[in-house]
Amino acid sequence: MHPEGAAAGVAARPARRLLLQAAAKLENVVLPSKSLTSLERLNIYAYMYYARLLEILTNEYPTTRQVLGDKVFERACRRFIERNPSKHRTLNLLSEKFPSFLARSLPPGNRRSLAVDVARIERAMEDVFDAPRADPLAAAEFAAIAADEWHRVRLRVNPALVPLKLRFPANDYMNVARAGASPRMPRPRATFAIVYRRDFKVFRRDQAPGQFKLLTALARGKTLAQAVRSSVSGRGNADRLAATLGAWFHEWAAAGIFCGIERAGSGRRGR
Amino acid sequence: MTQASLPNRWNLPDLGLGVGLRTQHFGHITERWPAMDWFEILSENFIDTEGRPLYFLDQIAERYPIVMHGVCLSVGSTDPVDFKFLDKLAALAKRVKAVWLGDHICWTGVAGLNGHDLYPVPYTEEGLRHMVSRVRTIQDYLERPLVLENPSTYLTFASSSMPEEEFIARLAVEADCALLLDVNNVYVTCRNHDLDPVAYLDAMPYEHVVQVHLAGHTDNGTHCIDTHDGRVIEEVWKLYARVHQKTGGRATLLEWDANVPKFSVLQQEVGKASRFRNGARLARPVAA
Repeated sequence: MHPEGAAAGVAARPARRLLLQAAAKLENVVLPSKSLTSLERLNIYAYMYYARLLEILTNEYPTTRQVLGDKVFERACRRFIERNPSKHRTLNLLSEKFPSFLARSLPPGNRRSLAVDVARIERAMEDVFDAPRADPLAAAEFAAIAADEWHRVRLRVNPALVPLKLRFPANDYMNVARAGASPRMPRPRATFAIVYRRDFKVFRRDQAPGQFKLLTALARGKTLAQAVRSSVSGRGNADRLAATLGAWFHEWAAAGIFCGIERAGSGRRGR
Repeated sequence: MTQASLPNRWNLPDLGLGVGLRTQHFGHITERWPAMDWFEILSENFIDTEGRPLYFLDQIAERYPIVMHGVCLSVGSTDPVDFKFLDKLAALAKRVKAVWLGDHICWTGVAGLNGHDLYPVPYTEEGLRHMVSRVRTIQDYLERPLVLENPSTYLTFASSSMPEEEFIARLAVEADCALLLDVNNVYVTCRNHDLDPVAYLDAMPYEHVVQVHLAGHTDNGTHCIDTHDGRVIEEVWKLYARVHQKTGGRATLLEWDANVPKFSVLQQEVGKASRFRNGARLARPVAA
């Protein structure tokens, strides 16, 4: 489909070469009806292609649209569709590359950075919606991990979870925007968020920097001991560290972030 | 289920009256288990996902018959048949115990790209041979008949050498596939091409027809678009009555995909078909 419609598409060199060389004119390929010309009939399909894909992007990226404004957003969507024609049967994957496309194609500046952050969160919401299922670990299963097991215990992270390192407080921005308000442009500030699915509902929440580092280390397959050492070493006294870790794991357990325990060397695998 | 007076080639059952399963109604259906004879799913919405839609579909499939209807099989395309996709369709069909599965008589993409639309093919001898061969390949692989639907079309190719209804009838017979006769699409196509919908219907090989679609459309004056966004118009009901006369009853489904109303509105609208079906009422599902 040509982004400027059927007339531009018919005039384009590939169409002339493939279809119209022998036919000489469009009417020799597509017949007119009593009430529509050949071009008008072809345009029905050309219009529907862009209308359908624009609708998908608009539905998936409502807050990105709010950051950019309607005109800039629609222009970006059209350019994206033009350069990234759909190759998948499912429309769920249409916008996989939309956040990186925005990062490359919008003029540099804070608005672009915020839009990319928000688009990454909105794309992650689509990804976790369709991600594989896994039953979460219960709090009692965490509690059963003895301190002397930490060096050989690995936690399996819910496959329906995406961790995001962001340049702006984009999750806060989305909370305000999705409540129906018009949030002000925030100042740049590194934030850390996770998007995940629990009980077939999609959630997003911010994480403290150390908490995020620990979770991503666990997601990369480090043992509990390795992950803790690489994430929170040098933090205050032992009691405070234990309390902080306890609070984080409590939060993650409630959110269903982990779905299995692996004990290296023991041959035991929990779920 | 009732026995149709004109059996179809495969003795597939008349499932009664159904509606397309849409996300807006997941909660209502799994809380109330409302009266509905069967559901049709859009196959692609439940492939490559393990999220909420599949969670609800598993529950619904335990209580209602499910039919799979796709939009991406692209039986008219010149791209190679995608056997990996057929494997996914077969796996989903097994999971939900699909009574049958199908798609459209069209192409949806070429050269690895997908247009997400139902594009018409030129109705030529060459085109027919091409599509018959592909449909046979797909059916042999899936080991079941494909149920293919006549699409709404908005243009006519100058190269076509036969009318659409002849192409479809010959495709059904020569590929030995089943047909899903969408009477709203018949109406829309005939309006767009200035054809007689009754003559179109009379050309169908009804022993191949196993399912009927009903839907609303948008009439733009100069042409109609198959928008699935409203009630079935009276002219389409008349066409449905004619199909019913010819078959004695086929699984009938209402499609409503835009401006989707409450489930009760769908029940009421599809229930109108019962006036042609001896007043048969929608059945409550069997408990799982």
